Amino acid sequence: MIGGGILLQIDFIAWLRGIPDWLYEVIRWVYGILYALFTWVWGLFVWIWAVVMDSFWFLFKAILFPGLIFVVLGIIFAVWFTRKTWGRVQARRGPYHMGKYGGLQLFADAIKLVAKETIIPDNAKRWMYRVLPSLLLIAVLIPFAFIPWDNNWFIADLSVSLVLTFAFLTVVPVVSVLAGWTSGSKYTLIGGFRAANNQFAAEIPLIISSVGPAMLAGSLSVMGISQAQANFWYIFLLPVNFVTFMVSATVIVGLVPFDAPVADSEILFGWRTEFTGIYFTMTYFAEFAKQMLFCALMVAMFFGGSYGLPFIPPVLNFIIKFLVMLFFFVIVTSSFFRLRQDQVAHFCWRWLLPLSLLNVVGAMLAIVYIPGLAELLQLGGG
Amino acid sequence: MSPSTLAHYVIDRHPDVSSKEPEGNRIELIVPAERVRDVVGIISELVPDAFPESVFGVDLGNDKYEVMYFFWSHSNLMLCQLRVALEGDSPEVDSVCDMFPGMEWHERETHEMFGIGFRGNPDLRLLLLPDELQGKYPLRKSFKTDRSRLAESGLAESRPTSKESETSG
Amino acid sequence: MSVNILDEAVEVWFGPQHVSAHGWATKLTIVGDFIVECDPNAGYFHRSAEKCLEFRDFRQGALIMERLCMLEAFLAEYPYVKAVEKIAALEVPERAKVMRTIMMEASRIHSLQFWWGQFAAELGLFAMLLWPWVDREYFLDSFEELTGSRHAVSYNTPGGVKYDFTEKSVKMLLRALDRIEERIPTFRDMILKSPTFKLRTRNVGTFTAEQGLKWGLSGPNIKACGIPMDLRKDDPDPDLAYNMCDWEVPITHSEKHPGGSDAYDRMVQRFKEIETSISIIRQLLPQVPEGPIVDPKARTKTNRLPAGEAYGRVEGTRGITTLWLKTTDKAQTPYRAKIRGPCFSSYYSLKHLVPGSTFADFIVIFGSLDPYPGWWDR
Repeated sequence: MIGGGILLQIDFIAWLRGIPDWLYEVIRWVYGILYALFTWVWGLFVWIWAVVMDSFWFLFKAILFPGLIFVVLGIIFAVWFTRKTWGRVQARRGPYHMGKYGGLQLFADAIKLVAKETIIPDNAKRWMYRVLPSLLLIAVLIPFAFIPWDNNWFIADLSVSLVLTFAFLTVVPVVSVLAGWTSGSKYTLIGGFRAANNQFAAEIPLIISSVGPAMLAGSLSVMGISQAQANFWYIFLLPVNFVTFMVSATVIVGLVPFDAPVADSEILFGWRTEFTGIYFTMTYFAEFAKQMLFCALMVAMFFGGSYGLPFIPPVLNFIIKFLVMLFFFVIVTSSFFRLRQDQVAHFCWRWLLPLSLLNVVGAMLAIVYIPGLAELLQLGGG
Repeated sequence: MSPSTLAHYVIDRHPDVSSKEPEGNRIELIVPAERVRDVVGIISELVPDAFPESVFGVDLGNDKYEVMYFFWSHSNLMLCQLRVALEGDSPEVDSVCDMFPGMEWHERETHEMFGIGFRGNPDLRLLLLPDELQGKYPLRKSFKTDRSRLAESGLAESRPTSKESETSG
Repeated sequence: MSVNILDEAVEVWFGPQHVSAHGWATKLTIVGDFIVECDPNAGYFHRSAEKCLEFRDFRQGALIMERLCMLEAFLAEYPYVKAVEKIAALEVPERAKVMRTIMMEASRIHSLQFWWGQFAAELGLFAMLLWPWVDREYFLDSFEELTGSRHAVSYNTPGGVKYDFTEKSVKMLLRALDRIEERIPTFRDMILKSPTFKLRTRNVGTFTAEQGLKWGLSGPNIKACGIPMDLRKDDPDPDLAYNMCDWEVPITHSEKHPGGSDAYDRMVQRFKEIETSISIIRQLLPQVPEGPIVDPKARTKTNRLPAGEAYGRVEGTRGITTLWLKTTDKAQTPYRAKIRGPCFSSYYSLKHLVPGSTFADFIVIFGSLDPYPGWWDR
């Protein structure tokens, strides 16, 4: 008899003696699982790092410069610049409290807007209402990938990037009409219709105006057009085209004098009225991103891209010209009264379209009939 | 057309209209309630550029009201005033807004403030008053203004009032 | 939304929460882009001024009047003051007459500046909002120097005026006039010659003078049709100094609508009004006679008034503004005070003027009539 007369199934003392071994086995089992997990995660990390290292430059360009971060900072700068310039034109100062000269105002605004409650009207269709602003921002930001800031600093150079840009920009009025409709208010619906009207009116003059430089450069890619201007800026050959392009761009973006879709004093904010908080930030920034996109396109197509002063880096050339175009845009759009929607359509179909056609035809005839022009321009790509 | 010419013309046509002495460029005609449309019709005929200045009511107490019409003519440099006496709890008079569309809202406001009906006015809804107002016809002397929260406001209780214009409360 | 917005009539409320609806709301029935019916809705600003006047004595009443339209405070007080003076038989000294006229014309100028800045901004040119308002600041500073407050001046009082001209206040007023005279020609050309402005305002809100008169429009709205209907000349007030200077009633003859006016002509007309007012002030300022500024018996006589009825009228910035006063014997407060605001009729005339125009033109039409809710809601 062992231990006082109680008969057990197992040998109790032996079991007690075996506990440390058992614990050791449990810990070894847990450790094995953790180790397997760790190796798996580490392997993933090593694999990602290898991928990033392989396409390091591409990712750098896509995300940092001249990609996402640069564009977003550019938008913030453009908004600040616009507000200050508008303020000066209107006999006031623009933001000046946050940061020196109000530079941090935009960051403060963005933080405030993101933190606000997003109020969704009862009549609105919820899921579309939530998705549309992001869709708008994405559609407007993607074409920035095709802008040739420099011969080396670009994200993608497709042979049809110009056409792709316009294709992406066609999404914008569709989103505007949808946004106007899903917001569930009559004012927004009217604004949405007006935005679609603007687009119909100005899309064709815009594309025809861009046919001019495309023809002269012999290429449909923005990079190609920009590089073909190594000797000669196209603005001197196609001044009327530039003007019609700029006016069509103003109509498509929806700036005064063509901002009937977002006419402040008539339909509140048009199709953007009901968006609040983060959605409002996205639509607001999308407006300025569109403006920036068109400024960059105009510099690339008419002003020689990165060709200009030889003693500064070409990227800086582009940026300086871009800033001048932005300033010009801001000043022009604060100098006119707003046109009524039917007057906008009338103006675009009656004046813009024939003028842009005329200049393209004129350029074609000049190339064919004026001797020496073709060699001077190095047509067919540089 | 001078003020006295107009007065003579109107009184010849409708002898129950009387007038006071014209003072300067003003003439005041005292018109019985049934004659309002006729007199205003004469004015719109004889004075083609008659400008309808206003129509309003006065509560004289004891269910007696007066409605005043004012017309100004630039080409004749004449101000013509009509004074119409009415009686009763809901007095009525003919509307003149088909001859002078500008009077439509003046009549509408007089109706909502005094309860004077205008027969023929197409639209006698409330114009200025809110729908939630308790009580009707605020400009009548019998309308008690709400003085219940006067003590809260800290303003002095006594206000200079005359005995006739004082309302209780 | 299951209504076909292009073919069926849709009711849209323009206001009261709207950028351009400053205290009013209108129900518009639109089909597509065209307005077929307009039902103006008043009462958002109603402060029962007429009833309040029955509880204020004869010196306090002017303060209520000026708060109906703070932009033309000097002009808004005047009908009440005039009616009290008639009943109480007060004699206004010469100095007060000239000072009143000068300040009333200054009030007209800065009210019109406010109007055209706001009108241009509602048409889309936001820059034009603040440029005329900067010039208004000079006027408001001179008002502050004279009376102590910028907008609610409480300057007119039965029997005269309350505050005397000082050298500094006259100098500031002259500086304001110089500044406006320097800048108005540039602004006027910028607006009137701008092709987009012409596109927006030509043939918009057209009415003939006969129609306008029947609807109750007066002031610059009728003068723009070519009719010199101006109370300052038609009904010369012995208590004001308009006959002491040489001036003509500004009118505009419309080229496109003879005998009528559109929104463009009304803009032209109001610039002419500013010029006329400037010339009146410049002629009167050197002519201010010496003397008291208020009737010495005014204080005692306005404590209790005899029974009577009086009708005070003035040519306000927006049209004929009047006040009819009835008092009972030895009254301390009026028995009945009826205020006639010019914008009461402007707002009503929308019912006839707006149907047929596009949605975007609504604010152009209404803005060109110079609306101010204080006058129709009182």
